[in-house]
Amino acid sequence: MPKLIKERVPTPERPVEERIKDFDEVNLGYTWELALKEAERCLQCPVEYAPCIKGCPVNINIPGFIKALRENKDNPRKAVKEALRVIWACNSLPAITGRVCPQEDQCEGACVVGKVGDPVNIGKLERFVADYARQHGIDDELLMEEIKNIKKNGKKVAVIGAGPAGLTCAAELAKMGYDVTIYEALHEPGGVLAYGIPEFRLPKEILRKELKKLSILGVKIKTDHIVGRTVTIPELLKEYDAIFIGTGAGTPKLLKIPGINLNGIYSANEFLTRINLMKAYKFPEYDTPIIVGKRVIVIGAGNTAMDAARSALRLGAEVIIAYRRGEEDMTARIEEVQHAKEEGVKFMFFVNPVEFIGDENGRVKAVKFEKMKPLEERDSRGKRKIIGTGEYVTVETDTVVIAIGQTPNRIIWKTTPGLKVRENGTIVVDENLMTSIPGVFAGGDAIRGEATVILAMGDGRKAAKAIHEYLSKKSA
Amino acid sequence: MFTNSGVFIMYKILEKKEIAMRNTWYKIYAPHVAKKVQPGQFVIVRAFPNGERIPLTPIMWDREEGWIVLVAFTKGKTTMKMAMELKEGDEILNVAGPLGNPAPMEKFGKILAIGAYVGIAEVYPIAKAWQEIGNDVTTLHVTFEPMVILKDYFEKAVSRHIVEPVKIDQEKSFQENTKNVTKALTAKVKELLDNENWDLVFMVGPPGDQKAVFEVVKKYGIPMKVDLHPIMVDGTGMCGACRVTVGGEVKFACVDGPEFDAYLVDWDELIHRVGFYSKLEKLALEKYMEELKAKGVI
Repeated sequence: MPKLIKERVPTPERPVEERIKDFDEVNLGYTWELALKEAERCLQCPVEYAPCIKGCPVNINIPGFIKALRENKDNPRKAVKEALRVIWACNSLPAITGRVCPQEDQCEGACVVGKVGDPVNIGKLERFVADYARQHGIDDELLMEEIKNIKKNGKKVAVIGAGPAGLTCAAELAKMGYDVTIYEALHEPGGVLAYGIPEFRLPKEILRKELKKLSILGVKIKTDHIVGRTVTIPELLKEYDAIFIGTGAGTPKLLKIPGINLNGIYSANEFLTRINLMKAYKFPEYDTPIIVGKRVIVIGAGNTAMDAARSALRLGAEVIIAYRRGEEDMTARIEEVQHAKEEGVKFMFFVNPVEFIGDENGRVKAVKFEKMKPLEERDSRGKRKIIGTGEYVTVETDTVVIAIGQTPNRIIWKTTPGLKVRENGTIVVDENLMTSIPGVFAGGDAIRGEATVILAMGDGRKAAKAIHEYLSKKSA
Repeated sequence: MFTNSGVFIMYKILEKKEIAMRNTWYKIYAPHVAKKVQPGQFVIVRAFPNGERIPLTPIMWDREEGWIVLVAFTKGKTTMKMAMELKEGDEILNVAGPLGNPAPMEKFGKILAIGAYVGIAEVYPIAKAWQEIGNDVTTLHVTFEPMVILKDYFEKAVSRHIVEPVKIDQEKSFQENTKNVTKALTAKVKELLDNENWDLVFMVGPPGDQKAVFEVVKKYGIPMKVDLHPIMVDGTGMCGACRVTVGGEVKFACVDGPEFDAYLVDWDELIHRVGFYSKLEKLALEKYMEELKAKGVI
């Protein structure tokens, strides 16, 4: 029987008092020694059975890459190169997924070691492999080897949106020999990785380096191009053999309650875009301003809410997360909730905003909440239903960030005749991720509504295969 | 934009000139916008690496040659820095667009199209196109005397172009002076509405002036459209910074507008929202002026 080590090797983190003063990364990741020690805890379940692989939305051969580390104990360079080769077969952006995946619901949630102790820290091992490779130029080496095997097939594919779905789809297609061009509306590629997820979870330097790989693979990125306005899908179809839509779910949901347009009330998207993409926390060194008062109330309890709360805290505010359900219903990653608590974010549960109250200058000064209570009955997602109690509580504040979710952007389907969408704006696709327009595929949040980075990447990968099959059949 | 070698392709400034006090004309190579832009649409520009994204309106374009013309009023740090530091031949980092909905091209009849200050630049492509499809367009430009722009262009494009220059009183603050523009604006509009029949009034300008003109127009019951200028960040509908209340509903000016029915706009809310960052805007400008002084530029 393999010996089972119940406790995981911890990853070093920066101390709270230091990290809340800046936007630098909180978790410092494994060193080679620590990574190797953690890798030893894996029981090496057979690939055809390993639950962790099934738990991963892109089915990375997890025991395989861990084995590569263990079998090359004396040669970290070789170990990392072999491990990265295994990961890249399924995932082109491991430095990102290792950081932002909700592993507790995916690979690590399924790990058998987790049944009796801590699951193997797969996310941090994946991140270690990617980081070590990048720091030692191993990824470039591997990339050069891969590029030699690419045979250009002369076919062109347009990818709309440079978020996780589009980037993955583009990378996979480029590896298959397609001439790929990404159309991106903003001035920087990355989608939510660029404007949504803060530096302290995903340093932008890492994002840029991961994106550089795409340009080495030959992928072109046209920023400042808003498909639907700058160019339409019917026009792109004249120039490209196929199209992938990965436009995400970037339109914020706002509460339909009085006072929503008072000054000081931000959507989480605006708040995070100012901070992450525009670097407003460095104002006036950077030109984009942001205003955060003494107290910030963040409404919602997903990852976006945690990111907004922890960003506001770093700008010097007292921060309260207000959620209409209970603590166990929060959808954010456990690690982020933990980090938020350590850093001093306060939580109010079972409160639902009913009104924003403003001062005579049109600035928000308080939020009126109705107190809620849970019922035994559960909704379609398995969460306890809640009802209002008729009791109210008013909390003073000068800044509110609304993080209650996003819906797909309207521009794309309003300007694409024949593209079938559901009432909530998500694009309808078949089992091969093809839309109602032949040759046009879609994936990620654009078809799911808001989900996770890794599910979007899984879709991007699946769509790349489907596009390849579709175009191969078409030309046959 | 990135090319396959990872290099940025930027947007070249083909022509730059000061066409009036604090009004700069930029002719920029941006073929992706020039090919598609329609009257009423705008672009988002980011001129510097640490810069912010600001909305500006293409007022002329050549689809074949691939250029657009933007006229920027020097108001705060970004527009000041553009005016001071950008030269012909330089490149602008980002020009995203076209954005927003095109103005409706219908035969309304007799139209009064008003531009306060640099707002007249935005009126130009719309008024010109309205005239071309058979409307009888009168344009009205109210601004300070040294800020009159595009007069010749308008005189060629529409039935009648009226300029109401307001003298700058050096003794008084800028704020006081702008009150005189508002006064001249409302007085002239009232005179025009009293003496002639109109089917539509359209206006671009600061929201305070738009509101003041609307208060006049509404007494006559004439339909009125406005292009709104709330604060924008992305300009693509993903943040809601530019949200406005129109007919009791929350709309995003960048995707639902920028044009709205003046009778349905919540003017006071818009005026509050536009002023939200004024302290920081002032701070950014002051810091930049200090930099210029330190360099001996001013």
